[in-house]
Amino acid sequence: MARIAAVPSPIPVDDRGRPAFEIPSELAIDTDVARRVIGEFIRSQLRQAGFERCVLGLSGGIDSALVAYLLAEAIGGERLLAVLMPYRTSSPASRTDAQAVVAALSCASELVEITPMVDGYFGRDAEPGAAGREALEASPVRRGNFMARMRMSILYDRSVTFGGLVVGTGNKTEGLIGYTTLFGDSASAFNPIGDLYKSQVRQLALALGVPAAILAKAPSADLWPDQTDELEGGFNYEELDRILYWRIDRRRSVDEVVARGFDRTTVERVDGLVARSEFKRQMPAVAKLGPRTAGVDYLYPRRRPGSART
Amino acid sequence: MSLRIALAQLAPRLGALDDNLRRHHELLAAARDRAAGLVVFPELGLTGYLLQDLASEVAMRLDDPRLAALAGATRDLSAVVSFVEESADHRLFIAAALLEDGEIRHVHRKLFLPTYGLFDERRFFAAGDVLRAVPSRLGVGVGLAICEDFWHLGVPQLLALDGAQLLINPSSSPGRDLAATNEVGLGTATSWRILMRTYAQLTGSFVVFCNRVGVDESISFWGGSEVIGPSGEPLFSAPLFDEDLYIVDVELADVRRERIALPLLRDERLELQARELARIVAERAGLVPDATAEAGAEPGLDLEPAEPAREPIGFTARRR
Repeated sequence: MARIAAVPSPIPVDDRGRPAFEIPSELAIDTDVARRVIGEFIRSQLRQAGFERCVLGLSGGIDSALVAYLLAEAIGGERLLAVLMPYRTSSPASRTDAQAVVAALSCASELVEITPMVDGYFGRDAEPGAAGREALEASPVRRGNFMARMRMSILYDRSVTFGGLVVGTGNKTEGLIGYTTLFGDSASAFNPIGDLYKSQVRQLALALGVPAAILAKAPSADLWPDQTDELEGGFNYEELDRILYWRIDRRRSVDEVVARGFDRTTVERVDGLVARSEFKRQMPAVAKLGPRTAGVDYLYPRRRPGSART
Repeated sequence: MSLRIALAQLAPRLGALDDNLRRHHELLAAARDRAAGLVVFPELGLTGYLLQDLASEVAMRLDDPRLAALAGATRDLSAVVSFVEESADHRLFIAAALLEDGEIRHVHRKLFLPTYGLFDERRFFAAGDVLRAVPSRLGVGVGLAICEDFWHLGVPQLLALDGAQLLINPSSSPGRDLAATNEVGLGTATSWRILMRTYAQLTGSFVVFCNRVGVDESISFWGGSEVIGPSGEPLFSAPLFDEDLYIVDVELADVRRERIALPLLRDERLELQARELARIVAERAGLVPDATAEAGAEPGLDLEPAEPAREPIGFTARRR
C-alpha cells in the first residue's frame, strides 16, 4: 500500500545559482492531502460563518502568496480580494511579485498605500505627526508594529466593503517564535497555513505553482529596507523549523534535540522565544468574577447554530 | 449469507440536530433503495463532534420521539446511529444505537473518552459502564464500540468473546500528522488501519468502521471508512474526505471458515485473563503485594520514597 507522493516542482535557485532553500526530510508533508484538508477547511469556515468571499493582504512574500493560491483553489479567484498595502519604503519588487499573483489568480485587487497613515502618526521630514515630536525618532520595531496594525485595520474595513472574511497568512514558525505583531498580521477570521512550518509552506507553495521569484527570495517582513527574517533573527528557517518540530511536535527535550546535532545555545534561544511569545498565541486573560466566563467555563464552538451571518 | 453494508460517510452540521436528523432519514432511504441490510453512521452523526457546552442542548433521552422516528425507518433494516444520550439522572453520554425493525435494539455508551491532546471529551460527557455483544436480525452477533473504544485492546476481544461476529465502530476521528512518509499521507489513517486489520484477524470478525468527514472549527475529519474481513483483509476502503454513501457486499459465512482455519478465539484463555486481571487490580488497590514494585513501597504505590535529608519536624515518621 506504499504511496508515492507527487513529484514536486524543482526548488528555485537564488541569485547566486544555489537552491534557495531545502526541505528537511522530517518536515516533508503529503501536499495532496494538505491541499484537500485546507480546501475543505476554507469552504467550511466560510459556509459556517455565512460568507462566500475572502479578503487577504498580499505582500509579495511566500506566505500570503500561498494563501492566495489556496483560496483561489478552494473558492475561485473571483471570490477573493487581494489588498496590496505598501509603505513608501516597501520594496518595489514586493509589489511586482504581488501583482504577479493577482494576475495568475485573476482575483480582484486593491492598492491602499499606508504611507499617509503611518507618516501622519509618526511624522515625516522633521514635521511631527499625531504622536508628537518624540515619535519622529520612533524605533523600527514601533513603526513596524504600527504598520502591521494599520494593515489589519484596512483589511477589516475591506472585509465590510467586499463582504469577505479576513484570512490570516502567518505560518507556524513565526507564530511559535512570536515573530508577529499582536492584533496586527496575526489578526484574522481563520488561518489556513498557521499549522505549517516555513519549510512546509515552501513545499506546498512549490506544489501549487507559486511563482519562482517569490519562492526564491529571502523571507522578509519588509518593514524597513533590506530587512530579512533570517538576518534579523540570526537563524535560517531550515534549522529553526527542525528545532521547533523536534521540541514541540515531537516533544523532545533540549538534551535530546542537542543530541541530534543542534547547537545548544541556539536550541535554548528558540525555547526562550517560544516561551516569551506565549501571550501572542492566546486570547487575553479576563479576570474571572462571575459564575460563567467566556473561554473559561462558557465554552461554545464559534460556529454554533445561529452564529452564521444571515 | 451475504450482507450489503452501507457506510454513511457524512459531514454532520455542528449542533444542528434537525438538519442531521433529516440527512439520516434521507440516507436511510437511499440505503434501502440500494438494498442495504445494514447502514452505519459515524460517531455523533446526529449532532457533530466538537459540541462543548452545546452537548446538553442537543441531547436526547432514549424515549425521545425523534429517535423513535429514526428507528421507525428501519423496517427490515439494521442501522447504527450515534447521538448525545441523556440518561434519566441527567448524565450525558456519547451513544450509538442499533436500530432494527422499527425499534432500538441496543444502545452502547462510549466507554473511553479521550481527554488528552486535541480531545476534551471527559469534561463534557460521562463514560459508559457496559460492553455487550447483542443478537441481531442479521443472524450474527453485533458488537458496538465508538471511536476511542477501539484504542483499547480489551474492547474488540471482549465483544468477540461475548458473541459478536460483526464489530461496528462509528467514529469522529480528526485527521492529523501529514508526514509524507505515511501510507495515505495521514498518520491517523495509518494507525487506524493497522489496528482494525489486527482486530479483525485476531478476533476472526468483520470490522465495520464508519468515520465522518467535514470540519468542526480547526479539526478536519478524514473519512476513509472501511470494512475488513475476518482474515484481516480490507474489503473496502472509502476515499479520504469525500462525503458519500458507500456500498460494500460481504459474505458473513467467511467468519465460520476463518474461525475454524485460525481458531484463535477458541484458544483464548478467559480464566487466565480473569485471574491475572483480578491480581493486577488487587495490586493496584494495594490489597496484595505487588511483585513489580520496589521492596519498601507502600501498598498500592510502586516506588519507595527517597530517604529524607533531615529528620521531619514535629512528628515521627512510622515506616510500614
